[in-house]
Amino acid sequence: MNIKKLNILLADDDTDDCLFFKEALEAMPVITQFKAVHDGEQLMHLLNRETESLPHVLFLDLNMPRKNGFECLAEIKQNEKLKAMPVVIFSTSYEQEVVNLLYNGGAQYFIRKPSEFAMFKKIIFHVLTLITQDLLTGHVKYIIQPARENFVLTVEDILTI
Amino acid sequence: MNKITEEDPLSLANKALFFQNEEKEKRAAELSIAYKELIFQNEEKEKRAAELIIANKELAFQIEEKEKRAAELIIANKELAFQNAEKEKRAAELIIANKELAFQNEEKEKRAAELIIANKELAFQNEEKEKRAAELIIANKELLAFTYISSHDLQEPLRKIQTFVTIILQNEMNNLSEKGKYNFERMQLAANRMQQLIDDLLAFSRISTTDHKFEKTNLEMIIDEVKSELKDTIIEKKATIEVSEVCDANIIPFQFRQLLYNLISNALKFSNPEVLPHILISSSIVKGTALNNSVPAGLTLPGLPEKFSPQKNYCHISVKDNGIGFEPHFSERIFGVFQKLHSKEVYKGTGIGLAIVKKIVENHKGVIMATGELNKGAAFDIYIPSN
Repeated sequence: MNIKKLNILLADDDTDDCLFFKEALEAMPVITQFKAVHDGEQLMHLLNRETESLPHVLFLDLNMPRKNGFECLAEIKQNEKLKAMPVVIFSTSYEQEVVNLLYNGGAQYFIRKPSEFAMFKKIIFHVLTLITQDLLTGHVKYIIQPARENFVLTVEDILTI
Repeated sequence: MNKITEEDPLSLANKALFFQNEEKEKRAAELSIAYKELIFQNEEKEKRAAELIIANKELAFQIEEKEKRAAELIIANKELAFQNAEKEKRAAELIIANKELAFQNEEKEKRAAELIIANKELAFQNEEKEKRAAELIIANKELLAFTYISSHDLQEPLRKIQTFVTIILQNEMNNLSEKGKYNFERMQLAANRMQQLIDDLLAFSRISTTDHKFEKTNLEMIIDEVKSELKDTIIEKKATIEVSEVCDANIIPFQFRQLLYNLISNALKFSNPEVLPHILISSSIVKGTALNNSVPAGLTLPGLPEKFSPQKNYCHISVKDNGIGFEPHFSERIFGVFQKLHSKEVYKGTGIGLAIVKKIVENHKGVIMATGELNKGAAFDIYIPSN
Protein backbone atom coordinates (compact mmCIF):
# COMPACT_ATOMS: atom_id res chain seq x y z
CA MET A 1 0.00 0.00 0.00
CA ASN A 2 1.43 3.34 -1.00
CA ILE A 3 0.02 6.42 0.64
CA LYS A 4 0.86 9.62 -1.19
CA LYS A 5 -1.89 11.78 0.20
CA LEU A 6 -3.70 11.09 3.43
CA ASN A 7 -7.45 11.28 3.02
CA ILE A 8 -8.89 12.46 6.33
CA LEU A 9 -12.53 12.63 7.33
CA LEU A 10 -13.67 14.49 10.42
CA ALA A 11 -17.10 14.03 11.97
CA ASP A 12 -17.69 16.81 14.50
CA ASP A 13 -20.67 19.10 14.99
CA ASP A 14 -18.58 21.90 16.53
CA THR A 15 -17.57 24.64 14.09
CA ASP A 16 -14.60 25.77 16.17
CA ASP A 17 -13.21 22.26 16.50
CA CYS A 18 -13.49 21.71 12.77
CA LEU A 19 -11.62 24.97 12.25
CA PHE A 20 -8.89 23.99 14.71
CA PHE A 21 -8.53 20.64 13.00
CA LYS A 22 -8.28 22.17 9.54
CA GLU A 23 -5.70 24.70 10.66
CA ALA A 24 -3.73 21.97 12.42
CA LEU A 25 -3.63 19.88 9.23
CA GLU A 26 -2.50 22.87 7.21
CA ALA A 27 0.44 23.33 9.53
CA MET A 28 1.45 19.68 9.07
CA PRO A 29 4.36 18.46 6.93
CA VAL A 30 2.01 15.90 5.43
CA ILE A 31 -0.13 16.22 2.38
CA THR A 32 -3.70 15.70 3.41
CA GLN A 33 -7.12 15.85 1.92
CA PHE A 34 -9.63 17.00 4.48
CA LYS A 35 -13.41 16.74 4.65
CA ALA A 36 -15.74 17.45 7.55
CA VAL A 37 -19.28 16.28 8.29
CA HIS A 38 -21.35 17.61 11.15
CA ASP A 39 -23.70 14.87 12.29
CA GLY A 40 -23.80 11.09 12.50
CA GLU A 41 -26.41 10.58 9.80
CA GLN A 42 -24.47 12.73 7.38
CA LEU A 43 -21.38 10.68 8.18
CA MET A 44 -22.97 7.29 7.53
CA HIS A 45 -24.61 8.48 4.29
CA LEU A 46 -21.25 9.69 3.07
CA LEU A 47 -19.41 6.51 4.02
CA ASN A 48 -22.01 4.21 2.51
CA ARG A 49 -21.99 6.21 -0.69
CA GLU A 50 -18.26 6.47 -1.34
CA THR A 51 -17.17 2.88 -1.31
CA GLU A 52 -14.36 3.37 -3.85
CA SER A 53 -12.40 6.09 -2.16
CA LEU A 54 -12.92 5.63 1.55
CA PRO A 55 -10.96 7.98 3.77
CA HIS A 56 -7.71 6.61 5.17
CA VAL A 57 -8.78 7.62 8.64
CA LEU A 58 -11.92 8.89 10.35
CA PHE A 59 -11.72 11.27 13.29
CA LEU A 60 -14.94 10.80 15.21
CA ASP A 61 -16.44 13.08 17.85
CA LEU A 62 -18.78 11.39 20.33
CA ASN A 63 -21.49 13.98 20.88
CA MET A 64 -23.15 14.62 17.58
CA PRO A 65 -26.78 15.29 16.75
CA ARG A 66 -28.99 12.68 15.01
CA LYS A 67 -26.51 9.87 15.47
CA ASN A 68 -23.71 9.95 18.00
CA GLY A 69 -20.17 8.63 17.79
CA PHE A 70 -20.90 5.35 19.55
CA GLU A 71 -23.63 4.43 17.10
CA CYS A 72 -21.50 5.37 14.11
CA LEU A 73 -18.56 3.33 15.38
CA ALA A 74 -20.80 0.29 15.84
CA GLU A 75 -22.23 0.62 12.35
CA ILE A 76 -18.81 1.07 10.77
CA LYS A 77 -17.28 -1.94 12.49
CA GLN A 78 -20.24 -4.12 11.53
CA ASN A 79 -19.99 -3.11 7.88
CA GLU A 80 -17.74 -5.40 5.80
CA LYS A 81 -16.76 -2.56 3.51
CA LEU A 82 -16.05 -0.06 6.27
CA LYS A 83 -14.56 -2.01 9.11
CA ALA A 84 -10.97 -1.85 7.90
CA MET A 85 -11.01 1.94 8.19
CA PRO A 86 -9.26 3.15 11.35
CA VAL A 87 -11.45 5.31 13.59
CA VAL A 88 -9.82 7.79 15.95
CA ILE A 89 -12.12 8.99 18.69
CA PHE A 90 -11.64 12.70 19.24
CA SER A 91 -13.47 13.73 22.38
CA THR A 92 -13.77 16.58 24.88
CA SER A 93 -13.90 14.49 28.03
CA TYR A 94 -12.18 11.42 29.34
CA GLU A 95 -13.81 8.65 31.35
CA GLN A 96 -12.38 5.23 31.99
CA GLU A 97 -15.63 3.35 31.36
CA VAL A 98 -16.30 5.20 28.10
CA VAL A 99 -12.76 4.59 26.87
CA ASN A 100 -13.09 0.86 27.59
CA LEU A 101 -16.38 0.79 25.71
CA LEU A 102 -14.78 2.45 22.69
CA TYR A 103 -11.78 0.12 22.70
CA ASN A 104 -14.08 -2.89 22.79
CA GLY A 105 -16.10 -1.29 20.00
CA GLY A 106 -13.08 -1.42 17.72
CA ALA A 107 -11.82 2.18 17.71
CA GLN A 108 -8.18 2.59 16.85
CA TYR A 109 -7.12 5.41 19.15
CA PHE A 110 -8.68 7.73 21.69
CA ILE A 111 -7.62 11.35 21.98
CA ARG A 112 -8.89 13.90 24.43
CA LYS A 113 -8.97 17.25 22.64
CA PRO A 114 -6.11 19.35 24.05
CA SER A 115 -6.81 22.91 25.09
CA GLU A 116 -3.51 24.30 23.87
CA PHE A 117 -3.39 24.69 20.16
CA ALA A 118 0.27 23.74 19.93
CA MET A 119 -0.54 20.45 21.63
CA PHE A 120 -3.55 20.03 19.38
CA LYS A 121 -1.29 20.13 16.35
CA LYS A 122 1.29 17.84 17.87
CA ILE A 123 -1.16 15.17 18.86
CA ILE A 124 -2.81 15.10 15.47
CA PHE A 125 0.57 14.73 13.83
CA HIS A 126 1.43 11.94 16.24
CA VAL A 127 -1.75 10.02 15.57
CA LEU A 128 -1.42 10.44 11.81
CA THR A 129 2.05 8.95 12.05
CA LEU A 130 0.70 6.00 13.97
CA ILE A 131 -2.23 5.55 11.59
CA THR A 132 0.07 5.51 8.59
CA GLN A 133 2.13 2.75 10.24
CA ASP A 134 -1.05 0.83 11.13
CA LEU A 135 -2.30 1.05 7.56
CA LEU A 136 1.00 -0.20 6.19
CA THR A 137 1.14 -3.17 8.54
CA GLY A 138 -2.56 -3.90 8.30
CA HIS A 139 -4.63 -5.88 5.92
CA VAL A 140 -7.00 -4.74 3.21
CA LYS A 141 -9.92 -6.41 4.90
CA TYR A 142 -9.21 -5.44 8.50
CA ILE A 143 -7.02 -3.23 10.63
CA ILE A 144 -5.09 -4.37 13.67
CA GLN A 145 -6.06 -2.55 16.87
CA PRO A 146 -3.20 -1.40 19.12
CA ALA A 147 -2.85 -2.88 22.60
CA ARG A 148 -5.16 -1.45 25.26
CA GLU A 149 -2.35 0.44 26.98
CA ASN A 150 -1.53 2.19 23.72
CA PHE A 151 -5.13 3.05 22.90
CA VAL A 152 -5.29 6.42 24.65
CA LEU A 153 -2.97 9.08 23.26
CA THR A 154 -2.15 11.88 25.64
CA VAL A 155 -0.21 15.10 25.54
CA GLU A 156 2.27 13.51 27.97
CA ASP A 157 2.97 10.76 25.39
CA ILE A 158 4.00 13.40 22.87
CA LEU A 159 6.15 15.34 25.28
CA THR A 160 8.17 12.26 26.12
CA ILE A 161 8.92 11.48 22.49
CA MET B 1 -114.97 -108.67 165.65
CA ASN B 2 -112.85 -107.25 163.05
CA LYS B 3 -111.56 -109.83 160.99
CA ILE B 4 -110.23 -108.58 158.08
CA THR B 5 -108.04 -110.34 156.37
CA GLU B 6 -105.69 -108.00 157.23
CA GLU B 7 -102.58 -108.16 155.42
CA ASP B 8 -99.75 -108.42 157.21
CA PRO B 9 -98.38 -104.99 157.80
CA LEU B 10 -95.12 -106.50 156.82
CA SER B 11 -96.28 -107.65 153.57
CA LEU B 12 -97.78 -104.28 153.11
CA ALA B 13 -94.61 -102.80 153.99
CA ASN B 14 -92.90 -105.19 151.72
CA LYS B 15 -95.20 -104.25 148.97
CA ALA B 16 -94.70 -100.72 149.70
CA LEU B 17 -91.06 -101.32 149.81
CA PHE B 18 -91.09 -103.35 146.72
CA PHE B 19 -93.07 -100.60 145.11
CA GLN B 20 -90.71 -98.11 146.39
CA ASN B 21 -87.83 -100.20 145.28
CA GLU B 22 -89.38 -100.37 141.91
CA GLU B 23 -89.90 -96.76 142.08
CA LYS B 24 -86.42 -96.33 143.27
CA GLU B 25 -85.16 -98.40 140.47
CA LYS B 26 -87.23 -96.47 138.11
CA ARG B 27 -85.93 -93.42 139.67
CA ALA B 28 -82.43 -94.84 139.47
CA ALA B 29 -82.89 -95.77 135.88
CA GLU B 30 -84.22 -92.34 135.21
CA LEU B 31 -81.36 -90.98 137.17
CA SER B 32 -78.96 -93.02 135.20
CA ILE B 33 -80.47 -91.74 132.05
CA ALA B 34 -80.55 -88.29 133.43
CA TYR B 35 -76.99 -88.73 134.54
CA LYS B 36 -76.00 -89.86 131.08
CA GLU B 37 -77.90 -86.93 129.71
CA LEU B 38 -76.11 -84.69 132.13
CA ILE B 39 -72.75 -86.12 131.21
CA PHE B 40 -73.65 -85.68 127.62
CA GLN B 41 -74.78 -82.19 128.26
CA ASN B 42 -71.67 -81.55 130.27
CA GLU B 43 -69.65 -82.79 127.40
CA GLU B 44 -71.62 -80.59 125.12
CA LYS B 45 -71.25 -77.77 127.56
CA GLU B 46 -67.56 -78.33 127.59
CA LYS B 47 -67.47 -78.46 123.84
CA ARG B 48 -69.46 -75.28 123.87
CA ALA B 49 -67.15 -73.84 126.43
CA ALA B 50 -64.11 -74.78 124.39
CA GLU B 51 -65.75 -73.32 121.33
CA LEU B 52 -66.60 -70.29 123.34
CA ILE B 53 -63.03 -69.97 124.49
CA ILE B 54 -61.88 -70.18 120.88
CA ALA B 55 -64.60 -67.80 119.90
CA ASN B 56 -63.62 -65.47 122.67
CA LYS B 57 -59.98 -65.69 121.65
CA GLU B 58 -61.07 -64.93 118.13
CA LEU B 59 -63.21 -62.11 119.40
CA ALA B 60 -60.41 -60.77 121.56
CA PHE B 61 -58.07 -60.92 118.52
CA GLN B 62 -60.61 -59.15 116.40
CA ILE B 63 -61.17 -56.61 119.09
CA GLU B 64 -57.41 -56.03 119.10
CA GLU B 65 -57.40 -55.72 115.35
CA LYS B 66 -60.36 -53.37 115.50
CA GLU B 67 -58.54 -51.28 118.04
CA LYS B 68 -55.46 -51.23 115.84
CA ARG B 69 -57.62 -50.16 112.92
CA ALA B 70 -59.29 -47.60 115.09
CA ALA B 71 -55.91 -46.23 116.16
CA GLU B 72 -54.74 -46.17 112.52
CA LEU B 73 -57.97 -44.49 111.57
CA ILE B 74 -57.40 -41.88 114.20
CA ILE B 75 -53.94 -41.24 112.81
CA ALA B 76 -55.31 -41.22 109.27
CA ASN B 77 -58.02 -38.83 110.27
CA LYS B 78 -55.51 -36.57 111.93
CA GLU B 79 -53.45 -36.73 108.76
CA LEU B 80 -56.52 -35.99 106.67
CA ALA B 81 -57.52 -33.16 108.93
CA PHE B 82 -53.99 -31.77 108.58
CA GLN B 83 -54.09 -32.12 104.83
CA ASN B 84 -57.44 -30.49 104.67
CA ALA B 85 -56.06 -27.63 106.65
CA GLU B 86 -53.15 -27.39 104.19
CA LYS B 87 -55.55 -27.61 101.25
CA GLU B 88 -57.50 -24.78 102.63
CA LYS B 89 -54.37 -22.76 103.08
CA ARG B 90 -53.42 -23.50 99.48
CA ALA B 91 -56.91 -22.62 98.33
CA ALA B 92 -56.67 -19.34 100.20
CA GLU B 93 -53.26 -18.62 98.63
CA LEU B 94 -54.62 -19.59 95.23
CA ILE B 95 -57.45 -17.13 95.60
CA ILE B 96 -54.95 -14.40 96.38
CA ALA B 97 -52.73 -15.51 93.48
CA ASN B 98 -55.68 -15.50 91.11
CA LYS B 99 -56.64 -12.03 92.20
CA GLU B 100 -53.05 -10.95 91.57
CA LEU B 101 -53.05 -12.65 88.18
CA ALA B 102 -56.34 -11.05 87.21
CA PHE B 103 -54.86 -7.70 88.16
CA GLN B 104 -51.71 -8.32 86.16
CA ASN B 105 -53.71 -9.48 83.17
CA GLU B 106 -55.56 -6.21 83.31
CA GLU B 107 -52.25 -4.35 83.45
CA LYS B 108 -50.91 -6.45 80.60
CA GLU B 109 -53.93 -5.65 78.51
CA LYS B 110 -53.47 -1.99 79.22
CA ARG B 111 -49.81 -2.25 78.20
CA ALA B 112 -50.77 -4.21 75.09
CA ALA B 113 -53.22 -1.53 74.10
CA GLU B 114 -50.58 1.15 74.69
CA LEU B 115 -48.10 -0.92 72.68
CA ILE B 116 -50.49 -1.17 69.76
CA ILE B 117 -50.83 2.59 69.74
CA ALA B 118 -47.06 3.02 70.06
CA ASN B 119 -46.46 0.54 67.23
CA LYS B 120 -48.92 2.34 64.99
CA GLU B 121 -47.08 5.56 65.74
CA LEU B 122 -43.73 3.87 65.07
CA ALA B 123 -44.96 2.33 61.80
CA PHE B 124 -46.18 5.73 60.72
CA GLN B 125 -42.87 7.34 61.61
CA ASN B 126 -40.99 4.58 59.82
CA GLU B 127 -43.07 5.22 56.74
CA GLU B 128 -42.28 8.90 56.98
CA LYS B 129 -38.62 8.11 57.51
CA GLU B 130 -38.62 5.83 54.50
CA LYS B 131 -40.30 8.52 52.43
CA ARG B 132 -37.68 11.03 53.57
CA ALA B 133 -34.90 8.54 52.84
CA ALA B 134 -36.28 7.85 49.37
CA GLU B 135 -36.61 11.58 48.72
CA LEU B 136 -33.06 12.06 49.93
CA ILE B 137 -31.73 9.35 47.63
CA ILE B 138 -33.50 10.95 44.67
CA ALA B 139 -32.28 14.40 45.64
CA ASN B 140 -28.72 13.13 45.98
CA LYS B 141 -28.89 11.35 42.64
CA GLU B 142 -30.20 14.49 41.00
CA LEU B 143 -27.49 16.57 42.62
CA LEU B 144 -24.79 14.22 41.46
CA ALA B 145 -26.24 14.04 37.96
CA PHE B 146 -26.41 17.83 37.90
CA THR B 147 -22.83 18.11 39.14
CA TYR B 148 -21.67 15.64 36.55
CA ILE B 149 -23.59 17.10 33.64
CA SER B 150 -22.73 20.69 34.41
CA SER B 151 -19.04 19.86 34.90
CA HIS B 152 -19.05 17.83 31.73
CA ASP B 153 -20.81 20.44 29.62
CA LEU B 154 -18.73 23.28 30.99
CA GLN B 155 -15.57 21.64 29.72
CA GLU B 156 -16.23 22.25 26.08
CA PRO B 157 -16.62 26.04 25.98
CA LEU B 158 -13.75 26.29 28.43
CA ARG B 159 -11.52 24.30 26.16
CA LYS B 160 -12.42 26.59 23.31
CA ILE B 161 -11.44 29.63 25.31
CA GLN B 162 -8.12 28.01 26.11
CA THR B 163 -7.46 26.95 22.54
CA PHE B 164 -8.32 30.33 21.07
CA VAL B 165 -6.08 32.06 23.59
CA THR B 166 -3.21 29.81 22.55
CA ILE B 167 -3.89 30.51 18.88
CA ILE B 168 -3.94 34.25 19.48
CA LEU B 169 -0.79 34.12 21.57
CA GLN B 170 0.86 32.07 18.87
CA ASN B 171 -0.26 33.92 15.77
CA GLU B 172 -0.75 37.49 16.99
CA MET B 173 2.44 37.69 19.06
CA ASN B 174 3.72 40.62 17.08
CA ASN B 175 0.41 42.48 17.06
CA LEU B 176 -0.04 42.47 20.78
CA SER B 177 1.33 44.95 23.26
CA GLU B 178 3.08 43.69 26.39
CA LYS B 179 -0.05 44.50 28.34
CA GLY B 180 -2.15 42.63 25.79
CA LYS B 181 0.08 39.55 26.03
CA TYR B 182 -0.02 39.68 29.80
CA ASN B 183 -3.81 39.95 29.83
CA PHE B 184 -4.16 36.93 27.55
CA GLU B 185 -1.74 34.99 29.72
CA ARG B 186 -3.78 35.81 32.82
CA MET B 187 -6.87 34.71 30.88
CA GLN B 188 -5.10 31.47 30.13
CA LEU B 189 -4.27 30.93 33.78
CA ALA B 190 -7.84 31.58 34.83
CA ALA B 191 -9.17 29.22 32.18
CA ASN B 192 -6.69 26.54 33.25
CA ARG B 193 -7.76 27.04 36.82
CA MET B 194 -11.37 26.54 35.80
CA GLN B 195 -10.35 23.38 33.97
CA GLN B 196 -8.75 22.10 37.14
CA LEU B 197 -11.86 22.88 39.17
CA ILE B 198 -14.13 21.15 36.70
CA ASP B 199 -11.87 18.09 36.53
CA ASP B 200 -11.83 17.88 40.29
CA LEU B 201 -15.57 18.38 40.60
CA LEU B 202 -16.13 15.62 38.06
CA ALA B 203 -13.76 13.31 39.93
CA PHE B 204 -15.59 14.09 43.15
CA SER B 205 -19.02 13.39 41.70
CA ARG B 206 -17.79 10.20 40.11
CA ILE B 207 -16.67 8.80 43.43
CA SER B 208 -20.29 8.57 44.51
CA THR B 209 -21.83 7.35 41.30
CA THR B 210 -19.62 4.49 40.27
CA ASP B 211 -20.38 0.95 41.33
CA HIS B 212 -19.09 -0.12 44.68
CA LYS B 213 -17.46 -3.53 44.63
CA PHE B 214 -15.87 -4.42 47.92
CA GLU B 215 -12.90 -6.79 47.94
CA LYS B 216 -10.73 -8.09 50.74
CA THR B 217 -7.43 -6.41 49.93
CA ASN B 218 -4.03 -6.24 51.56
CA LEU B 219 -3.38 -2.55 52.15
CA GLU B 220 0.37 -2.93 51.68
CA MET B 221 -0.27 -3.67 48.02
CA ILE B 222 -2.27 -0.48 47.57
CA ILE B 223 0.34 1.55 49.44
CA ASP B 224 3.05 0.17 47.15
CA GLU B 225 1.03 1.10 44.06
CA VAL B 226 0.59 4.65 45.33
CA LYS B 227 4.29 4.93 46.23
CA SER B 228 5.17 3.90 42.69
CA GLU B 229 2.78 6.49 41.21
CA LEU B 230 4.35 9.22 43.38
CA LYS B 231 7.87 7.94 42.82
CA ASP B 232 9.15 11.11 41.18
CA THR B 233 7.85 13.44 43.88
CA ILE B 234 9.14 11.15 46.63
CA ILE B 235 12.61 11.23 45.15
CA GLU B 236 12.47 14.97 44.50
CA LYS B 237 11.48 15.73 48.09
CA LYS B 238 13.85 13.09 49.51
CA ALA B 239 10.88 11.74 51.44
CA THR B 240 10.69 8.52 53.40
CA ILE B 241 7.49 6.59 53.67
CA GLU B 242 7.42 4.13 56.53
CA VAL B 243 4.77 1.45 56.80
CA SER B 244 4.70 0.20 60.38
CA GLU B 245 1.77 -2.22 60.41
CA VAL B 246 -0.50 -3.54 57.71
CA CYS B 247 -3.65 -5.52 57.65
CA ASP B 248 -6.24 -6.68 55.20
CA ALA B 249 -9.36 -4.62 54.76
CA ASN B 250 -12.66 -4.99 52.96
CA ILE B 251 -12.48 -2.07 50.55
CA ILE B 252 -13.21 -0.78 47.05
CA PRO B 253 -9.63 -1.04 45.73
CA PHE B 254 -9.58 1.71 43.13
CA GLN B 255 -11.28 4.18 45.47
CA PHE B 256 -8.93 3.34 48.31
CA ARG B 257 -5.98 3.79 46.00
CA GLN B 258 -7.30 7.29 45.27
CA LEU B 259 -7.72 7.93 48.99
CA LEU B 260 -4.16 6.94 49.86
CA TYR B 261 -2.82 8.78 46.83
CA ASN B 262 -4.52 11.98 47.96
CA LEU B 263 -3.35 11.65 51.56
CA ILE B 264 0.23 10.80 50.69
CA SER B 265 0.52 13.41 47.94
CA ASN B 266 -0.84 15.98 50.39
CA ALA B 267 1.76 14.92 52.94
CA LEU B 268 4.46 15.41 50.29
CA LYS B 269 3.00 18.72 49.11
CA PHE B 270 2.60 20.21 52.56
CA SER B 271 6.01 19.15 53.78
CA ASN B 272 8.27 21.44 55.75
CA PRO B 273 11.03 22.69 53.41
CA GLU B 274 13.56 22.59 56.29
CA VAL B 275 12.80 18.99 57.28
CA LEU B 276 13.05 15.82 55.21
CA PRO B 277 9.49 14.59 54.86
CA HIS B 278 8.71 11.46 56.82
CA ILE B 279 5.33 9.82 56.36
CA LEU B 280 4.21 7.06 58.70
CA ILE B 281 1.43 4.75 57.59
CA SER B 282 -0.06 2.02 59.69
CA SER B 283 -3.18 -0.09 59.56
CA SER B 284 -4.50 -2.52 62.14
CA ILE B 285 -7.70 -4.11 63.35
CA VAL B 286 -9.19 -2.76 66.56
CA LYS B 287 -12.28 -3.73 68.49
CA GLY B 288 -15.08 -1.26 68.99
CA THR B 289 -14.73 -1.53 72.77
CA ALA B 290 -11.04 -0.57 72.63
CA LEU B 291 -11.87 2.48 70.55
CA ASN B 292 -14.64 3.60 72.90
CA ASN B 293 -12.26 3.25 75.81
CA SER B 294 -9.48 5.21 74.18
CA VAL B 295 -11.65 8.27 73.66
CA PRO B 296 -11.77 10.22 76.91
CA ALA B 297 -15.29 10.39 78.29
CA GLY B 298 -17.19 13.48 77.32
CA LEU B 299 -14.72 14.44 74.63
CA THR B 300 -16.31 14.60 71.21
CA LEU B 301 -13.67 14.53 68.55
CA PRO B 302 -14.92 15.95 65.28
CA GLY B 303 -15.54 13.20 62.76
CA LEU B 304 -15.67 10.44 65.36
CA PRO B 305 -19.03 8.89 66.21
CA GLU B 306 -20.15 9.15 69.81
CA LYS B 307 -19.69 5.48 70.26
CA PHE B 308 -18.17 2.73 68.19
CA SER B 309 -20.23 -0.44 68.05
CA PRO B 310 -18.52 -2.60 70.69
CA GLN B 311 -19.17 -5.90 68.92
CA LYS B 312 -17.72 -4.78 65.62
CA ASN B 313 -14.15 -4.84 64.44
CA TYR B 314 -12.73 -1.77 62.77
CA CYS B 315 -9.75 -1.31 60.51
CA HIS B 316 -7.82 1.71 61.72
CA ILE B 317 -5.66 3.32 59.07
CA SER B 318 -3.38 6.17 60.07
CA VAL B 319 -1.30 8.50 57.89
CA LYS B 320 1.01 10.82 59.80
CA ASP B 321 3.44 13.36 58.46
CA ASN B 322 5.97 15.84 59.83
CA GLY B 323 5.03 18.69 57.52
CA ILE B 324 3.63 22.15 58.07
CA GLY B 325 0.52 20.86 59.83
CA PHE B 326 -2.49 23.06 60.48
CA GLU B 327 -4.18 24.88 63.34
CA PRO B 328 -6.44 22.48 65.25
CA HIS B 329 -9.56 24.58 64.69
CA PHE B 330 -9.36 23.83 60.95
CA SER B 331 -9.61 20.09 61.48
CA GLU B 332 -13.09 19.89 59.96
CA ARG B 333 -12.90 22.70 57.43
CA ILE B 334 -10.10 21.02 55.50
CA PHE B 335 -12.51 18.30 54.40
CA GLY B 336 -14.77 20.83 52.66
CA VAL B 337 -15.11 20.91 48.88
CA PHE B 338 -12.61 23.38 47.38
CA GLN B 339 -11.51 24.43 50.88
CA LYS B 340 -7.89 25.45 51.12
CA LEU B 341 -5.91 26.90 53.99
CA HIS B 342 -3.48 28.66 51.67
CA SER B 343 -3.83 30.60 48.47
CA LYS B 344 -3.22 28.75 45.25
CA GLU B 345 -0.09 30.77 44.59
CA VAL B 346 1.53 29.28 47.69
CA TYR B 347 0.34 25.73 47.32
CA LYS B 348 -1.25 24.60 44.10
CA GLY B 349 -4.42 22.60 43.97
CA THR B 350 -8.15 23.21 44.10
CA GLY B 351 -8.82 21.97 47.62
CA ILE B 352 -10.78 18.92 46.52
CA GLY B 353 -8.31 16.25 47.66
CA LEU B 354 -9.56 15.79 51.22
CA ALA B 355 -13.21 16.18 50.18
CA ILE B 356 -12.66 13.19 47.91
CA VAL B 357 -10.91 11.31 50.73
CA LYS B 358 -13.82 11.95 53.07
CA LYS B 359 -16.36 10.86 50.44
CA ILE B 360 -14.45 7.63 49.89
CA VAL B 361 -14.35 6.96 53.63
CA GLU B 362 -18.11 7.54 53.75
CA ASN B 363 -18.58 5.10 50.87
CA HIS B 364 -16.89 2.55 53.12
CA LYS B 365 -19.26 3.44 56.01
CA GLY B 366 -16.31 4.74 57.98
CA VAL B 367 -15.17 7.93 59.64
CA ILE B 368 -12.10 10.11 59.24
CA MET B 369 -10.52 12.41 61.72
CA ALA B 370 -7.77 14.97 61.22
CA THR B 371 -5.45 16.26 63.91
CA GLY B 372 -2.72 18.79 63.34
CA GLU B 373 -0.34 21.17 64.93
CA LEU B 374 1.18 24.08 63.10
CA ASN B 375 4.71 23.26 61.90
CA LYS B 376 4.66 19.90 63.67
CA GLY B 377 2.67 17.86 61.21
CA ALA B 378 -0.72 16.36 60.51
CA ALA B 379 -2.30 13.02 61.25
CA PHE B 380 -5.28 11.45 59.54
CA ASP B 381 -7.07 8.59 61.27
CA ILE B 382 -9.57 6.53 59.34
CA TYR B 383 -11.84 3.90 60.89
CA ILE B 384 -13.79 1.59 58.62
CA PRO B 385 -15.85 -1.46 59.60
CA SER B 386 -13.72 -4.53 59.17
CA ASN B 387 -16.31 -6.81 57.65
